[in-house]
Amino acid sequence: MRILVVEDDTETAAYLVGGLEEEGYSVTKAVNGRDGLFLATTENFDLLIIDRMLPELDGLTLVKTLRAGRIETSVLFLTTMSGIDDRVTGLNAGGDDYLVKPFAFAELLARVKALSRRPRGTQAETHFKVADLELDLLKRVVKRAGHEIQLQPREFRLLEYLMRHAGEVVTRTMLLDNVWNYHFDPRTNVVESHLSRLRTKIDKGYSPELIHTVRGAGYCLRARD
Amino acid sequence: MPATKLLRTSSFRLTLAYAGVFVLCVLVLFGVSYVFVTDYATQDETDEIAVEFDDIQNEAALAGEAKLPQIIDSHIRLRKDVRAVYLLLDAQGNKITGNLDAMPPVIGPTLMSLDVDGRFRTMRGHGYKLDNGDYLFIGQDTSTLNEMTDLIVRAFGVGLVATLMLALLGGALISRSVLGRIESVGKTTHAIVEGDLSQRVPLRGSGDEFDELAKGVNAMLDRIEDLMRSMRQVSNDVAHDLRTPLTRLRQRLERARLRANDPEELQDALANSITQVDSILETFGALLRIAQIEAGGRASPPAAVNVSRLLAGIVEDFAPAAEDHGQRIVAEIDKDLTLSADRELLTQMVVNLVDNAIRHSPPGTEISIEGKLMEDAFELAVSDTGPGIPPHERENVLRPFYRLEASRTTEGSGLGLSLVAAIAKRHHAKLSLLDNAPGLRVAVVFPLAA
Repeated sequence: MRILVVEDDTETAAYLVGGLEEEGYSVTKAVNGRDGLFLATTENFDLLIIDRMLPELDGLTLVKTLRAGRIETSVLFLTTMSGIDDRVTGLNAGGDDYLVKPFAFAELLARVKALSRRPRGTQAETHFKVADLELDLLKRVVKRAGHEIQLQPREFRLLEYLMRHAGEVVTRTMLLDNVWNYHFDPRTNVVESHLSRLRTKIDKGYSPELIHTVRGAGYCLRARD
Repeated sequence: MPATKLLRTSSFRLTLAYAGVFVLCVLVLFGVSYVFVTDYATQDETDEIAVEFDDIQNEAALAGEAKLPQIIDSHIRLRKDVRAVYLLLDAQGNKITGNLDAMPPVIGPTLMSLDVDGRFRTMRGHGYKLDNGDYLFIGQDTSTLNEMTDLIVRAFGVGLVATLMLALLGGALISRSVLGRIESVGKTTHAIVEGDLSQRVPLRGSGDEFDELAKGVNAMLDRIEDLMRSMRQVSNDVAHDLRTPLTRLRQRLERARLRANDPEELQDALANSITQVDSILETFGALLRIAQIEAGGRASPPAAVNVSRLLAGIVEDFAPAAEDHGQRIVAEIDKDLTLSADRELLTQMVVNLVDNAIRHSPPGTEISIEGKLMEDAFELAVSDTGPGIPPHERENVLRPFYRLEASRTTEGSGLGLSLVAAIAKRHHAKLSLLDNAPGLRVAVVFPLAA
């Protein structure tokens, strides 16, 4: 798994490269937009982590250029620009995810894993199964061990997201972003309270437990520890 | 005001142009009057000569042809004052009577210079060939007409000079008053540039364009002063409010260094420090966001948002959390309400309000979310039956970092309501904190026409 990190701040770059290498990724580093574009077009990467503000060629233009050249490698934008619009412009330019600095490394790692699992543009799955838990998107039915489980609409979307990322750590921010479409952090424990209800419905009385809390990182839906 | 400056002002130049137009008007008026008056006077003289001739002929017809010289003599005497001249010649050109010595016998209307009483005068006259072959000339001195035209020229000349002087004087006065008012705006802005933000452009109270301009400038200055004050306030608050957590962080790190040989304690201290840093960063994030919303530069234009669905979604999202706190969320939302707004900001506003209600109210509280269509506005309200905010504190809590004594211990940046206020302002909505008796009711009224 090869990752290209385009980041001009040496300390952040070292933090990213070191952390990702520790996790077993092979990481290449570029310190400006032009080098980043050159590397991204000449070598094969599974994921590009690109800072928005770069010398010589800014991250947004870099990604637009890549997409115009039909290079569909997944892109994770890193930015200090937490503006309301920045997220939207970043995603519109062809970014696949958007992470605002400062961030916890666990958050970055979870997103890297989520992005690198599938190539871009896979066809939509409509049926998910983890152990004896099944979710059918078309019929909007959830079953555990053959028993149908009634879920609230938000709980359904939460479970759908967890099942799409089964086996991966999903952070609270990822859930807020994707399930609630909140691009800010409400102080009330919205995620926790929904998750505990979902857990009660999915796991209570069944074995094994499927929804796990990963300390300091987030949640994970998987069959075994 | 120095003369050169006066000459450079556009108002003075405008006045000069006006003066020019006035002068032109006077000249045209003069020309027209001159032509009409001379025309009229000429015609009058011609008519009078014709009437005189008719009179003489009529009198001669009554008294007999032979009396003609006497008739003429009497006419000469009668019309001495208008300086009329008469000359009667027989067929051979010998003078019979008249107050002219001699002249060529011109037939028809004529204008000639004649020697009368030793002076050359311009005469308008008419020569007639009488039936018996005699020649009669009746003439009139044109000096009356000349005097009249002289008078007209003089009158207009004086008028022209007066007009010009008045126009220039008026222009100078007007441009001085205009300049004076513009200069007062200039003086004010200059003082402000120098740093005195409390300066205002004086109003005259006449409600004219200059007053309107001054009002506009003053309103702008009010806004700037407001912004400056809040900026100063915020930077003070930031400095003050961040010192506390940073001090705590420093203490924690210092303690950690002293106990560096206990790995577990060190781990805990580091984890705590990271949490502390995160909360500081979060404060900065919130400040940035407020600044961004207040600055207003947002690319995506507001779109029609289905508020009913948005509010219902938030109720659904927060109901479990409220339940976990032993609270209850009730909703009273009109169906299919749409509002031209920024969806994300609107969501964040309601979420912040609900957040506040949940976190600052004890178990057993009922939180109500309302969306109501009013006559020309839309009211969105979040109320709770919690402890509420005392009336004198309601303004304060909208200020960044302001926290009530009772909520000092509750986690939070103290920026939630500032953000709500910024979002409301952004949508031209009126935010009010009311007594829910008991509890707090936060109402945001959006104008629908906007």
